[in-house]
Amino acid sequence: MIHFDNVTKVYSHQSRPALQGVNVAVEKGEFVFLVGPSGSGKSTFLRLILKEERPTQGGIHVAGKDLSRLSNWKVPHLRRRIGCVFQDFRLLPNKNVYENVAFALEVIGKPRRFIRKVVPEVIDLVGLEGKAHRMPDELSGGEQQRVAIARAFVNRPMILLADEPTGNIDPATSIGIMKVLDRINRTGTTVVMATHDAAIVDAFRKRVVELEDGRVVRDQSRGVYGQAYGGV
Amino acid sequence: MRVQFVLQEIWIGLRRNLTMTIALIVTVAIAMALFGTGVLLKMQVDKSNNYWSDKVEVSIYLCNKLSANPNCKKTEPNQSEKDAIRKQLESMPQVAKVVPETAQEAYQRAKEQFKDSPGIAGSIQPGDIPDSFRVKLKDPKNFAAVVAQMSNREGVDQVVNERAILDKFFKILSGLQWAALIIAAIQLIAAVLLVANTIRLSAFNRRRETGIMRLVGASNVYIQLPFVLEGAIAGLVGGVFAAILLSFSKVFLLGRLQKNLQLATPLGWLDVTTVIVASMCFGILLCALASFLTLRRYLKI
Repeated sequence: MIHFDNVTKVYSHQSRPALQGVNVAVEKGEFVFLVGPSGSGKSTFLRLILKEERPTQGGIHVAGKDLSRLSNWKVPHLRRRIGCVFQDFRLLPNKNVYENVAFALEVIGKPRRFIRKVVPEVIDLVGLEGKAHRMPDELSGGEQQRVAIARAFVNRPMILLADEPTGNIDPATSIGIMKVLDRINRTGTTVVMATHDAAIVDAFRKRVVELEDGRVVRDQSRGVYGQAYGGV
Repeated sequence: MRVQFVLQEIWIGLRRNLTMTIALIVTVAIAMALFGTGVLLKMQVDKSNNYWSDKVEVSIYLCNKLSANPNCKKTEPNQSEKDAIRKQLESMPQVAKVVPETAQEAYQRAKEQFKDSPGIAGSIQPGDIPDSFRVKLKDPKNFAAVVAQMSNREGVDQVVNERAILDKFFKILSGLQWAALIIAAIQLIAAVLLVANTIRLSAFNRRRETGIMRLVGASNVYIQLPFVLEGAIAGLVGGVFAAILLSFSKVFLLGRLQKNLQLATPLGWLDVTTVIVASMCFGILLCALASFLTLRRYLKI
C-alpha cells in the first residue's frame, strides 16, 4: 500500500537531510506507529505520502501509484484515497459537526443524496451520536478529534494518516480516539500514525517504525515505544 | 460540480472583504468607462474624418467693396479677371473641381444655414459674403500649393482651407481620446493590483477551507473557481456601472459634440452598445485573469 524505496529528502536551504535512505513497506490493512523525536522526519514521511513534497532521491509508491510519475493534476485523486488527521484537528469553526464532515464530500463534488446518507453513518462510527448539530467550540478536544477522524474517513480512504492525533488530548480520552482508529483499521483501512505517546504505543502493540535523524533505526512488528523515549 | 457550493463560497468571499470589493468595483467601473469613452471618441473621430475628407474644400473668396484686405483696394474684379482666376485654378494638377458661388447664392445659403438663429440670419446682407470659388482637391492633404498660389493673387481676398479648420477640431477630439485612454490604462493597472490584493486577502481569509479542500482531494478547479469567479463578478458589477457611465457619456459628451459642432455622423446606440459589451468582456476577463494569476502565487495547490 505504501512503499518507500531508498527515499532521501533534503529541503532546500538545509544541508541535513530530513529523511535519508528510508526503506519502508506498509501493506494493506496494517496499523503502523511512526515514532521518533521531534525533527526525526515523521512529518516529512507523511507529507511525502500525500505528495505535498517530492523526494530528493528514491521512489515512493502509494496505493499502487508511482508518485514520481503522477502528474500534478492527478494529485487530488490520490488524496481522495488518503484521509488525514492532525494534532490541531483543523475543523472549520463556523460549521457544525455534520457540515464539517459533509464539507469533505461537497468539495469533491459528491451528490447531496449520497452525503445525506453517509455523513450520519460516519458520525455514529466515531461515537458522536446525537452531536451532529454541535459547533466545534461546544465540543471537548477528544470530540473535536473524532469529528476530524470522521471527516478523514467519510470518503472511505484506503489509507488514514494521523499526525500525533492524541497530542492535544488527555490520556483517558486518547484511549477512546485510539479505539476509533482501531475500528477504522479493522474495516481494512491502512493506518499510519506518527506519535510521541509511549503509553498508547505500548498498550496497542502494533508495528512500530522508529526514525532518528531521518533514518529508520527500528522496524518491529508488535513493538513498544522504546527505552530511550519511554518517559516522554 | 456543485453550483450551489461554489456560489456560496463566492458570496462569503465577496462579503468578507466588502470594502476591498467596493473599491475594486469602483476602480473597474471608472477604468472601463474611460476606456469605452476613449474608444467611442476614436470611433467618432474616424467616422467624421472619413465623412469630411470627401467633402472638405478650399474656398477662395474674391475681393469686393467690403474687403478688408489692402490688396483688394475695395474693388471687385471684373468678369474676365474672375475667369482668369478660375482658369488658373482648373489648370492646377491638385485640383479636381472648381465650383463658382456668387454672392447672391452665398447669401441664400447662409440664410438657410442660420435659419434657426434669427438674430444672425437677419443681420446678413447680400454681398457680405463675396463671390467665391469652392475648390475640390484630388487629395485633401495637398492643399499647400493651391493655398500658396492663391493667397496673394490679385483679386483674391481670402483663402480658407476647411481642412485646416477640421484638423484643429480633430486634434482636440483625438487629444480627448488619448487622455481618456491614458487615464483608462492607469486605472486598469490600479484595477489589476486591486484584484490581486482582494484575491490575496480572500485566499488568506479562507486558508482553513482551502487547506482542507486540498487535503481531502478537491480538484484545483474546485478550489480556484470561487476565487476566479469572485474577481469576475466584481468585474461584471463594475462593468454594469461602466455601462451606465458610458451611456451618460454618449448622451452628454458625444451628444453635445454632435449638436454643437454639427458632426454629420452621429454614433448610434448600436456602436455604443458594442463598445459597452466589449469593454465589459474585457473587464471581466482582466479581473478573472488577475485573480487566477494571483492564486498561483498565494494558494498552494
